[in-house]
Amino acid sequence: MIRTEKREVTLDDWDTIVPARTRAGKGRRYGHLTVRRRQDGVRLVEALILDPLSECAEVVCAPLPPACQEFPSLTPSLPAAHWAERLIGDFWGLKARGHQRWKSLALHEAWPATEFPFAVVSDLPLRPREYQFMKVEGPGIHEIPVGPIHAGIIEAGHFRFSCLGEVITNLEIRLGYQHRGVESRLTSTPLQHMRHVAESVSSDSGTANAIAHAEAIENLFGIEPSSAARSIRRMALEIERIASHLGDLGGLSGDVGFALGAAAFARLRGVALGLGQTLGGSRFQRGLVCPGGIAWRVEDERFSVLAESARSLRESVREASDLMLQNPGLQERMEGVGALAPHLVTEFGMVGPTSRASGGNYDARSIQLSAAGLAPATESAGDVLSRARVRAKEIETSLDLLQYHLSSDLDGPPRVELPERLPACRVGVGVVEAWRGELIHWVTTNEDGSVNRYCVRDPSLQNWTGLAIAARHNLVADFPVINKSFGLSYSGNDL
Amino acid sequence: MLTSLLYALKQRFATGESEFPELPEGARSLPVPTSEPCLGVECSRCVSLCPTGAIRIGDGVTLDRGLCVTCGACVEACPTGAIQYDRGVQTAALQRADLILRSGEPRPSRETLRAGPFSRSIDIREVSTGCNATDLEVAAISNPVFDCARFGIQFVASPRFADVLLVTGPVGRAMHEPLVRCYESMAEPSLVVAAGTCAITGGLHRGGYAEANGVLPHLPVAAFIPGCPPHPLSIIDGICLAVGSPVAEVRT
Repeated sequence: MIRTEKREVTLDDWDTIVPARTRAGKGRRYGHLTVRRRQDGVRLVEALILDPLSECAEVVCAPLPPACQEFPSLTPSLPAAHWAERLIGDFWGLKARGHQRWKSLALHEAWPATEFPFAVVSDLPLRPREYQFMKVEGPGIHEIPVGPIHAGIIEAGHFRFSCLGEVITNLEIRLGYQHRGVESRLTSTPLQHMRHVAESVSSDSGTANAIAHAEAIENLFGIEPSSAARSIRRMALEIERIASHLGDLGGLSGDVGFALGAAAFARLRGVALGLGQTLGGSRFQRGLVCPGGIAWRVEDERFSVLAESARSLRESVREASDLMLQNPGLQERMEGVGALAPHLVTEFGMVGPTSRASGGNYDARSIQLSAAGLAPATESAGDVLSRARVRAKEIETSLDLLQYHLSSDLDGPPRVELPERLPACRVGVGVVEAWRGELIHWVTTNEDGSVNRYCVRDPSLQNWTGLAIAARHNLVADFPVINKSFGLSYSGNDL
Repeated sequence: MLTSLLYALKQRFATGESEFPELPEGARSLPVPTSEPCLGVECSRCVSLCPTGAIRIGDGVTLDRGLCVTCGACVEACPTGAIQYDRGVQTAALQRADLILRSGEPRPSRETLRAGPFSRSIDIREVSTGCNATDLEVAAISNPVFDCARFGIQFVASPRFADVLLVTGPVGRAMHEPLVRCYESMAEPSLVVAAGTCAITGGLHRGGYAEANGVLPHLPVAAFIPGCPPHPLSIIDGICLAVGSPVAEVRT
């Protein structure tokens, strides 16, 4: 249960108070930044600050005057906010004054430069969006544009490489091609259907998104699901993590030419999806999680099948992981490649296994992990090999968590009934450690219980910058494996 | 090297024996209207729970699988079993209208085209415009269990090498032009296959300002594979159906 507090400040104090609030206690961290329109029409810039150790969150907001076209940028002192500020520019037409790399993030040539999806007539005039690719100049520098359509089976996004021969001097990542208008849709969708839209944010993390949504709604009401339902949700989340990490290990194997590993892990990913089929009825556990708990009663037999399958999967995974991670040829391809310096993790508020492979230790499951006698998986070298190792360790931890939950009391009502209308003028936040990292769903309601603003902060929004920096000084030919080792979501970023 | 060889030998064969086996017992898959009595408009629980409006109640239940996101809410709520999960995986169709199923009516029959020159050699360019779930299942068809290569299916890096353009996701505004340009780069004859509910209608994302209404507003579609996401076997079925491969004959 996350308790949320609100604090209002003036726009002049915005860029001093918000960074200070992120440091105002042990473990506090920047979560997300957005703008919303209050019912009286006033636009507010809002920052969400998380306090995982105390299980609470703080929303700091500052009202914007009516003809306002800008707000003070947090980026100079809180670089972690730099992409969230550019998203505000795209959707609201407001500029973050003092942002060092101001340009559009998600809406490019396909959208008229003065079309701002969340702006209204009374906000006008607003400055048009612009985008210029950074140019690297010098003898021998050439540019390689890649995407939005990529050569493999992967989401759409654009990479602009500036190279000196084979070596990447700069990589600029331009996304937005998967933008579908999910936040806007979540604002207008009836409560009972919202969970399906929430799952579609980035459906390879459908379970994580469904849980973050469910928890945000539950926190609005101040209710908790039964402990059985909570355990089942956590098992589903770990199954999703296991399947995704196995898929990534297979992808990494393929990207360094280890076809056997690619085939082995692809098969094991299928076995892990089979755990999802057993627990949730489908490979992606669609529709299982809902606000209040889970959507149907899970039969007892499924738990014993799950326990047995997880046991045999652990053996198979260990064998395949050792085969891959202890292979000297593969180590040579992955060691020292795509190194991400630890200070970047802190500065850019990076999350997930990628951050933990560079020495970070933040895992949104901390409290749950310690209760089970486990710890977040970490490595320190921050290269492709470290990110692969962290995933292998996390698969083990997830299997341990599965076992832990399977031996808890799973008999309980699947869901707590919720009222039909959301409570008035409240804020609900759900934070989940999705397999890519910390995922946030942040909901604010109106006086009549309708949704005023629904915000999703995918872990990838924080991590794409790390990829762009880690790619520097590496060979273009190593980019696929570096990209895969970050394993980020395009659709989760673009929404 | 030796370790790898021994590991590989130990794995034996992973490929499923029958081509399109049913999904396991208890699977929550694409629903189908059955011959059980529907309580009619007075009930309408399925209609109100469906997030995409895929269900109509009139003379029985009408389900449009082109809108269905396999959430299972209708099946869970139906008091009589008038709509149930369908464990069959050969769910693809050549016509958009064939995705609309009605109680009491037989499944639209599938007319497999006469096997054309591509039916045993299918080079696919995949374009992703969505949330990644269907992409993951498309990628899965190349794994040892589903082994699409045995049907002549392979993925290629450029539309210049491709016969089939396999599209996933609802095709939002930013992908309208790239998608069409990709199709236009393909030499004739070429086919477009819409994989997943989003690619068919836009699914949960349709009708919004992002103009994400699937492939049909932009390109002619040769085969439709419903599901959110569709199962890898259904994807293989849909690709084979599109090119007229005898693999896509319906197994009863």
